[in-house]
Amino acid sequence: MKEPKIGVYICWCGTNISHMVDVKAITEEIGDMPNIKVSRNYKYMCSDPGQDLIISDIKKHKLNRIVVAACSPRIHELTFRKAIENAGLNPYLFEMANIREQVSWVHTDIEAATEKAKSLVIAAISKVTHHEELERRTVDINPATLIIGGGITGMTAALDIAESGFKVYLIERDNKLGGVVSKVDLTFPYMSSAQQLIKSLINKVSNNKNIEVFFNTKIKEINGYVGNFETKLKLQKKARELKFGNMILATGLKPTDPESIHEIGYGRLPDVVTALEFEQMLIKGNIKTKAGKEPNNILIVHCVGSRNEKYNPYCSRTCCMTALKYSNQIRSALPKTSIYHAYSDMRAFGKGCEEFYSQTGRKNAVFLMYDQKNDIPTLRRAGKNDRCNIIAHMYEKLSGEDIEIPADIVILMISMEAHENVKQVAHAAGVSICSNGFFMEKHPKLDPIATTTDGVYIAGTCQSPKDIPDSVSQARAAAARILTSISVGKVEIELTTAVVNEDICGACHTCINVCPYSAISFDEEKKVSVVNEVICKGCGTCSSACPTGAISARHFTDKQILSQIEGLLAVSNKLSEKLEMEEV
Amino acid sequence: MSYRVNSEFKSDLKKFGIAEQWNECFHCGNCTAVCPLTENGFLFPRQGIRVMQMGLKEKLATYVDPWLCYYCGECSETCPREANPAELMMTLRRYLTSVYDWTGLSKKIYTSKWWEFGSIIIIALLIIVGFLIYLPLKSGADAMVNQSGSVMINSLVEGISAGQFVRIIEIGDWTMAIIVAALLISNILNMFYKVILSDNAVKVPFGTYFTEFWRLIYNFATQAKFSKCDDRNYWVGHLLLMTGYSIMFALVVIALPLFQIEEIVPWYNWQRLLGYYATFGILFFLIQVTIGRIKKQDTKLKFSHPSDWLFIIMLALTTITGILVHIFRLNGMVEATYYLYIAHLAVLVPMIVIEVPFSKWSHLAYRPFAVYFSRLKKAAVKKIEYQRELAPAI
Amino acid sequence: MEFQPTIVSFLCNWCSYSGADLAGTSRMKYAPNIRIIRVMCSGRVDPTFVLKAFSEGADGVLICGCHPGDCHYHEGNYKCLRRFLLLQKYISQMGINPNRLRLEWISASEGKQFAQLVDEMTEVLIQLGPNKFKEITQPA
Repeated sequence: MKEPKIGVYICWCGTNISHMVDVKAITEEIGDMPNIKVSRNYKYMCSDPGQDLIISDIKKHKLNRIVVAACSPRIHELTFRKAIENAGLNPYLFEMANIREQVSWVHTDIEAATEKAKSLVIAAISKVTHHEELERRTVDINPATLIIGGGITGMTAALDIAESGFKVYLIERDNKLGGVVSKVDLTFPYMSSAQQLIKSLINKVSNNKNIEVFFNTKIKEINGYVGNFETKLKLQKKARELKFGNMILATGLKPTDPESIHEIGYGRLPDVVTALEFEQMLIKGNIKTKAGKEPNNILIVHCVGSRNEKYNPYCSRTCCMTALKYSNQIRSALPKTSIYHAYSDMRAFGKGCEEFYSQTGRKNAVFLMYDQKNDIPTLRRAGKNDRCNIIAHMYEKLSGEDIEIPADIVILMISMEAHENVKQVAHAAGVSICSNGFFMEKHPKLDPIATTTDGVYIAGTCQSPKDIPDSVSQARAAAARILTSISVGKVEIELTTAVVNEDICGACHTCINVCPYSAISFDEEKKVSVVNEVICKGCGTCSSACPTGAISARHFTDKQILSQIEGLLAVSNKLSEKLEMEEV
Repeated sequence: MSYRVNSEFKSDLKKFGIAEQWNECFHCGNCTAVCPLTENGFLFPRQGIRVMQMGLKEKLATYVDPWLCYYCGECSETCPREANPAELMMTLRRYLTSVYDWTGLSKKIYTSKWWEFGSIIIIALLIIVGFLIYLPLKSGADAMVNQSGSVMINSLVEGISAGQFVRIIEIGDWTMAIIVAALLISNILNMFYKVILSDNAVKVPFGTYFTEFWRLIYNFATQAKFSKCDDRNYWVGHLLLMTGYSIMFALVVIALPLFQIEEIVPWYNWQRLLGYYATFGILFFLIQVTIGRIKKQDTKLKFSHPSDWLFIIMLALTTITGILVHIFRLNGMVEATYYLYIAHLAVLVPMIVIEVPFSKWSHLAYRPFAVYFSRLKKAAVKKIEYQRELAPAI
Repeated sequence: MEFQPTIVSFLCNWCSYSGADLAGTSRMKYAPNIRIIRVMCSGRVDPTFVLKAFSEGADGVLICGCHPGDCHYHEGNYKCLRRFLLLQKYISQMGINPNRLRLEWISASEGKQFAQLVDEMTEVLIQLGPNKFKEITQPA
């Protein structure tokens, strides 16, 4: 190994780091350590001048190891790797110390934070000293795409990809396409027909030769990696194997079960209906009570199951506008019917939505605000003299009055939840689920379409509740990302896989047994284990299990991590020695 | 107790002024934030708008706060949605007037032009016809001019003496005053019943009725609540009107034999000075308000309900006819004095009989009583809170 | 000065490291005693790492992985759990209080739980006092 010449760069991140960590002191102390050729700090390391600083130092001082202490490597590791590669250095001869998310943003004592940051930087230096050059490998991208979910999101993405001339496998668990949109009458805020919208999409999908739709199908397991995924489908008559390069998860939503919300009389009172049940009335053009009468009073209860810690803490985003849509539809169908909205907050954020709210308010609808946290409206059967079917009781927040609302039909704007199969799909596709049960995106702001697994994209209501335009936007964004990768044709994959040192492999087969991907096989001729680098995902489980240390996980080798531990504890060891000296 | 919401209420209320604008209100609370009346826990006018939107009629009947508002208009100026809360409160006051009036006439007069103008015209005609038939101008009345050249106003009628004439007018005045007062008092009792007695949440400590009584008098005399508005010009105008009108009313009803005398006394005598002050006060107010309502620049005068204009016209006619009677008298114009005197009464009487118990004038009683009632309610709430504090924690 | 323990922590890249990052982006505050090492999977945590940390003077070792069933590599966390249980017995035989070694499941959305965990573990280690293992293995 060449003598290490290490450059250390400590980022201020504006004041995000420097307000809590004494960046300058660390820079000076590190500069005195052996093998450190350059030690600098800079306002924003990730900025172009920050990166240029590293590049010019590599060229000038012939640096062969780089440490950047800044934010989380999950944010800027790739940025710096690219910069280092531009300077002609292997990008894996680099290590990041996370002194923002794990130091300056979470600690309040400058001295302790500086000490911790220093030990993280020293640990990174210790580790990077043992880093090895790794070559990246490019693989061809299979141009076929798998899309799970045949709703408006899945179909839109499928069409975008298929119309560019590439194969799409569209998996639908139901026996027909269309998803939730096919159960809706009109769309807000322009009151155009959802049926026309979805029917023309279904037609296009059905007639597109590049799209192969699998009905009544569920995905059990997906193997492979970006560019080369594969799955086995169990169809009614035969098994079918699919190979594809990318996939989009568009598994959609599930309406909350209204019976789980006990304040609401769903199931107990006949004329309490969910939004989707009311859509059916609208599609049939027949707004009647169960007894067949025209309703004199209709109550729409918003936020049923949303924005409530007891049920779902999040906002379902579409129910407010859907409720206003009902208000308009009821008003034109039944001009004399009283319409009451029991809402907890009115959210009209989409294009044309605030205007829609204003217009609807003028069409004689009474808005009643309830206290979502403490007082969901309660429903009871009306008495004989009430001249209506149901009486709703609630505390009206804006007036401070207890009120009762007469109703003949009550519409529940139930919340959106992730489809019940998300867990299974997440497991098959190797993506995470957020605390609310939706698929987790790679970055909430900068990359809401991708996931932490390359080649797997999420779109529509499986990512979070959203309306049609947002779902379609995500679908088309995901399709565009996939088309980009298909047009490039190749993808670079990381080579942080396992590797066997054949000289010391004892042929015990332990690694073969623990590998979750069956990536390790046994070479009967040489009597050693062999890693298939295409299949290996670099989890390192084999490396921890190997009794002889023959198999190691690249970039996370025993040597690297052990010296990282040493480095990590160097500062506190020195400190405690110093304390002991003082005591003596 | 919970109140039943009612989406039909809007169409009821619309006839009293505006209601459509409340659709615009999204309860940001800016109106409450700028309202000079705002105190801790006082959510006027936003809360009132909510109760109106929901159509809680029974709750509105107990709602005394609109009467504390003197329409400074700051809420409407601040409202980001142009929901016009100030005019909504004005509308609510008209509506509440009809709620307090047990005869039901108020609602008819407010909501129907036929009733409004019809009732005034009928009373005016009764006065004119009654005068012409029973108190006709006597022949040879031209002679009824005294040495100083002014008309002897009490001696113009055929067949009765000056003393008898004053007596007849005085009896008429008193009859009118008693009827109007009876109606007004019964309406205030109705208001008291609705605001205090039927509000289950309120139990007023008995002593408070007396300890807070001074507020009634104080507010009636000074209109202190009005003076809280930032622009005090209208408070001055209103105070001039109130004092002027009260003086005139007292002169005409209580002191008629001293006021309506045959001789024209010198200008510095108290009858004339008070009369001139009253005339000036009323005229000042009339000019101020008429210009304001035509210009529509001040928020409070932008929006005029028919009853507002009718009030100005009736008051102006009364004043102008009164001034003309005075001028004609001074110039010895006998016939003109007689006929203008009839015209004066033909506007004055319907104005008082219709407007004081049933329409715009009724606020002269409702406003000070509202201050009184609201203090009673507050005292009741305080007592409840105090008892809660004393109650052992469970 | 009160004894300040040092915790060496191994976080899996997919769930727990993201969870710790989330605690940071949410500006949650926790004790500065923890030093984090990123591994791709909790299954990568070799028993020697833990022993190395103790012998270098760590007062506690915290391993965090994805919740059961959520492992990015399907089952690495289960393997980690098996090793952990054995390792706890092993270190107690070597005279290290088994409470100094912990394995917890932290998902990418559990920033708050991570912060609470660090505070709680720091508190436990303060009670336990300094780790004497280093003095035994590396006499001065």
